[in-house]
Amino acid sequence: MTMDAAAPHCLLGMFDEDYTLDDYKGAEPRWCVGCGDSAILAAVQRLCRDEQLAPEKTVFVSGIGCSSRFPHYMHTYGFHGLHGRALPVAEGIKLQRPDLHVFVITGDGDCCSIGTAHWIHAIRYNMDMTVLVLDNGIYGLTKNQASPTSPLGLKSNTTPQGTVLEPINPISVTLGIRNASFVAQAVDWIPELVHDIVDAAFQHKGLSFVRVLQRCPEYLDGRYDAWVKDPGKMLLLNHENGIQTSPALASVYKNHEIHDPADRNRAREIASTSDPIPVGVLYRNQSIPCYENPRGPDRLYTPDVVKGVLEKELDRFTIQAVGGGGD
Amino acid sequence: MDKSLSALTAFHITGERLAGELDDVGRLDLRPALFGAYRDLSKLRHDFPLVLVNGDAGGGFVRSLSGVVDEILSDIAPHGIAGERLRQHVLKLEQEARSLAAGGEARSLGEIWDDAGRRLTAKTDAAALPQLEESLAQAREGLRFDGETVACDGELPVKFVTHAWTLDKRQRTQRLRDKLDDLTLTLSNILHTDVDNVEEAQGAEKLKRSMGKALEDEFDFDAMSRLLRTAPTGETLPEARRRRLNSVLTVFKSQRFLPPAENSRKRGRRKEPYGFVFDSCEEVLEAIQKRRPEMAKLVKAVAIAELEVANRYDESKHDQFFSHFSHHHLHVEDFALFPPYLVRLHGDSAVAAERTALWQVLSSGLPIKVLVQYDDVLGGDMLGPERLTANIKGPQLAAMALGLGNVFVVQTSSAYLFRLRDSIATGLASDGPALFSLFSGAPPGNAAASNNSPNVAPYLKAAAATESRAFPGYVHDPEAGGDWASRFHLETNSQPDADWPMRDFHYQDAGLQRNATETAFTFIDFVACDRRYANRFARVPQSSWHDGMIPVKEFLDLDAESAASKVPYIWMIDERDALCRAIVEDSLVSAARQCRDMWHSLQELAGINNSHAQALLAGEREIWQKEKEQELEALRGQLEAAAAAPAAPSAAPVAETPGAAAVETPSAAPAEVPDEAVEAGPVEEPYIETPRCTTCNECTELNDRMFAYNDEMQAYILDPDAGSYRQMVEAAEACQVAIIHPGKPRNSTETGLSDLEARAADFN
Ligand SMILES: Cc1ncc(C[n+]2csc(CCOP(=O)(O)OP(=O)(O)O)c2C)c(N)n1
Ligand code: SF4
Ligand code: SF4
Ligand SMILES: [Mg+2]
Repeated sequence: MTMDAAAPHCLLGMFDEDYTLDDYKGAEPRWCVGCGDSAILAAVQRLCRDEQLAPEKTVFVSGIGCSSRFPHYMHTYGFHGLHGRALPVAEGIKLQRPDLHVFVITGDGDCCSIGTAHWIHAIRYNMDMTVLVLDNGIYGLTKNQASPTSPLGLKSNTTPQGTVLEPINPISVTLGIRNASFVAQAVDWIPELVHDIVDAAFQHKGLSFVRVLQRCPEYLDGRYDAWVKDPGKMLLLNHENGIQTSPALASVYKNHEIHDPADRNRAREIASTSDPIPVGVLYRNQSIPCYENPRGPDRLYTPDVVKGVLEKELDRFTIQAVGGGGD
Repeated sequence: MDKSLSALTAFHITGERLAGELDDVGRLDLRPALFGAYRDLSKLRHDFPLVLVNGDAGGGFVRSLSGVVDEILSDIAPHGIAGERLRQHVLKLEQEARSLAAGGEARSLGEIWDDAGRRLTAKTDAAALPQLEESLAQAREGLRFDGETVACDGELPVKFVTHAWTLDKRQRTQRLRDKLDDLTLTLSNILHTDVDNVEEAQGAEKLKRSMGKALEDEFDFDAMSRLLRTAPTGETLPEARRRRLNSVLTVFKSQRFLPPAENSRKRGRRKEPYGFVFDSCEEVLEAIQKRRPEMAKLVKAVAIAELEVANRYDESKHDQFFSHFSHHHLHVEDFALFPPYLVRLHGDSAVAAERTALWQVLSSGLPIKVLVQYDDVLGGDMLGPERLTANIKGPQLAAMALGLGNVFVVQTSSAYLFRLRDSIATGLASDGPALFSLFSGAPPGNAAASNNSPNVAPYLKAAAATESRAFPGYVHDPEAGGDWASRFHLETNSQPDADWPMRDFHYQDAGLQRNATETAFTFIDFVACDRRYANRFARVPQSSWHDGMIPVKEFLDLDAESAASKVPYIWMIDERDALCRAIVEDSLVSAARQCRDMWHSLQELAGINNSHAQALLAGEREIWQKEKEQELEALRGQLEAAAAAPAAPSAAPVAETPGAAAVETPSAAPAEVPDEAVEAGPVEEPYIETPRCTTCNECTELNDRMFAYNDEMQAYILDPDAGSYRQMVEAAEACQVAIIHPGKPRNSTETGLSDLEARAADFN
């Protein structure tokens, strides 16, 4: 190392490692053969490698479900939390450690059933994190119960006669929340787009909500066959402010729409179509403020300061001995 | 030469007034004729007064009163007749405010606005009052910010630039503060990770105490403790790291480049924070020299902290580097971390006194911003007796700074300052040195207005300096690109393509008929505002006007021979606005030529009438013409040949673009059909469309010697012979995205091939 050549801030770059895909591989996945989660995992690992995210600066937080096993399979920090509670845990992490890249992996049951309240408020907070809902339309881990996104009439362990309620559409709901700042949809069977869309989500400052339609061959076999087999039934959303399909992919998937992610009304219309299935960035708004700011306007809340403040506050309630000085 | 012309010529050449009627224009109090329209500036809607906007109210750091009024009106006054009354009222208020602001005292826009409102209501009669008051109230509501108003006077350049600088400094200071705060927070958190106490906290005793008496018996705290201790606890902070973090925090706390935070405890014990505004280049250089060791300390601390926060501090690599790091290793880029410096110099004498230091500052590459305010462009001795050529001092410094290449330069006069506000801000925000060379137009304090004609307001004088090319405006932004076209801009001047701007000029003749003509505003018109040079002009009474008198602009365009029989004049007006002609001494004409030459070189830098380009263009045009002639010649030959042979095809059209290749005869062979058009035949070799693979494990589970994942975790055929054709076909069927193409069987002895081939057909 030559002493006079490098300004110290170059040092950060000088020693940067070159991460490979293997650096992001954690435990051996235990998903069923054919499960769409594997495609999403591989795409996310490729993204981490492409963005060269330091594994120790990256954290994957999940709830409970097949999909929520995701953090185990990443060689980064991870938190496999409580059912439905991935988002509040992630918020806590982001508040305390704004320097970390926070990813949240949740399922349709985890997010849209037991975790709905957290979902709505997480969108409102708009903290800087990337949220992937792996939506297979079923409770997979607990072996085949209907979820809020199950198709109408689906027979499952909890609905032997078939479901009687219309499913909810997670992207439509999210778009309905005032503070939503990034909403996108991907499908596990076009992994290149999973990569590109999650990348756009990752680049976005604020909470990016990505619903990934995911095949569960175990309990909902063939659910998306029609779309998997016929590329013409997919609608790719392209825009310079969203994602742009590669020429190779565009030659297979020929059905495109130029959609400006700033157009929220059009985004709502697109969100409500299920055939063709829209894929891409539906909505993006960089101007919505993020909630996380670990300190007050001028105040530096180091642990010492916090301790001082707490002690002062507690002192106010300390009972003074009678006659022990004072007025 | 006739007699009347010879008297004029004599004055022109020698300055001698032979005829008694050639009056000195100074005594007559004449002004350039184009100033006629601008007697009372308060009636004129122009940029002034300006408002230096407090805080970040949006709309920029400085606004013009008229701009503010326009914006309010467009918000509150409906289009058309409905909004007309409101518009009239508010425009009156603006005029009132403008004359109040010209008073010279520093007052806020809010105060002036209210004052103007009171004056206006006092003047208005009772019947019209309610409507006026309503309008004024509405307008006041629309005024959503405040700030100091500044007129176009001698204080403007300093106030303007200092205000912009303060905002930029505030932003940079905030950036540095945020950075140090973030790092401090993270480092403190690392220091407080309480792994040292984990041992104790996991003990049964401690667990028991934390539970409280009531539930004590319900739990087996020993078991709980044993369970907890199986969890990994992390390592305690090594002593060396703890020391390193603490010393970084100490440097952050003791640095003097930022003022202490508003509510920081322990205020008063700290040393005074550093100042960043100076009135001398020598002082700024000295201050920076003194501060360098401390700067280096902070740069080093920040670098260490960033490495620590990124988890990249490697003692074996970094310790040695940092132990040797001192102010000798500071880089120019390191200065970007710190607030920028501002030096304010006043007048040519200050520049002369500090020449060496100023040059050092400008060539340092450091973010030192230098404001040089000129109140006098010409100087009293521009045509001093010992001089062979004129010496126009004002614009010299900036022109020289352009030569340094990496200095951000803005030159302009006060009149155009507002229009260049964004450039001033960009220059301040840039990471390198900047020079703001500004002409105020105000009377220089020491010379007691001696060089100013009393009727000329600073705004007019400033505008005239730029308009006449005596003090041209330009912006040079070294960071805007690699060539002069992107770095240098001359557009702030009127009619930048011309030598002198041409203006329409209306007047009434003796018969009270309205006349219009065009007249140039030249360097000489600017000199005519300056009393020190009044004796270089002579008014010629109309009775003595002669055909040999021609406008200065035309005179300057003549060659020496044709000029010999002419005398140049400019149009002027007296205090009653009566037009007259003033002829000009030759020494001034030479000065004007020099000014025009300097202007020409600026034009060339800006790509206007570039001499190299013009020479090149002329050459290219000649070549192109020759080529075209040859082509035409060839075509004519072809046509003649065609006429001779009737069956030949007609000639191809002539290419019209310059430089196009000679016309080719179309080839007789039909174009080859591109490969893609041929339908692909059935697949022979098995393959996978790997980029579409969803990593679903179906195929790899089936036979992991046949199918494998590549570096991207997507499947490919590792070895087609590592399994049977049956497996290949089953994999293709199992693949959810149908991207496995089994091809033809490779081993003809395998059983059931015909059935398998039929199944494979769907995937090939
Ligand atoms: C509080 C709580 N309630 C219920 C459960 C049972 N449970 C485990 S996973 C799951 C549903 C998971 O569905 P989803 O989020 O869609 O994940 P998938 O398995 O489909 O990926 C449920 C209800 C639990 N673990 N915790
Ligand atoms: S049950 Fe469904 S979602 Fe869960 S691992 Fe199996 S295929 Fe995937
Ligand atoms: S079966 Fe298809 S999608 Fe699955 S891993 Fe093999 S090639 Fe990839
Ligand atoms: Mg599910």
